[in-house]
Amino acid sequence: MKNSIKVERAKKNITQADLAILAKVSRQTINAMELGKYVPSTVLSLRLAHIFEVEVSQIFTLEDSDWD
Amino acid sequence: MKLNYLFPNKYKKIGWLIFIPSAIIGLITLILDFEPNSLDFNVPAIFIEELLGDKHFFGIVNNNILNEILGVLILLSSLLVAFSKEESEDEYISKIRLESLVWAVYFNYAILLISSLFIFDFAFLWVMIFNMFTILLFFIIRFNWQIYKLKKFVHYEE
Repeated sequence: MKNSIKVERAKKNITQADLAILAKVSRQTINAMELGKYVPSTVLSLRLAHIFEVEVSQIFTLEDSDWD
Repeated sequence: MKLNYLFPNKYKKIGWLIFIPSAIIGLITLILDFEPNSLDFNVPAIFIEELLGDKHFFGIVNNNILNEILGVLILLSSLLVAFSKEESEDEYISKIRLESLVWAVYFNYAILLISSLFIFDFAFLWVMIFNMFTILLFFIIRFNWQIYKLKKFVHYEE
């Protein structure tokens, strides 16, 4: 799964640390998500969408490999 | 959702403070076979095997309770160390926790399997004694190493 957390973060001009506080997770989690090493839960995805004021589907996109 | 069977974060430190001294003392007394007479007591037992090989349930046995005390301290403190929350216990940390636990179970039983094939009779008793504690120990080492790596080697972008 691809995500545009980094892009959305840039739009809002906030750091990974800021986003971590807003989303109530650790910095490591934000970092891991941006690097594609961790796929967040539905709750965290909804929190991120809420923070960025976009739809969840605007942040996360399915890839072909997600259907395997 | 919120139920995760973990202790609050502060218990991790308490766990370490009890675990380290009792593990060191436990190891030393085990190796030196140290059993002070002052700790010999008649204690209730659920299952008894006499020297001649007689086995029966329920009774009183004379036992040195030093190893029981240390065993309990080590087990309880390592449970606290293993299963106290991290400062920021979020879903990603929980995932690492689960992976480390699976890894520790595999690793522990791999060692037990090899030991049971190549270590015999009374020598195997040593394996069993250590095996009481190693599953938690392997988990603690693996999990804390992963968390350390995460915090230390991750390159943050601002």
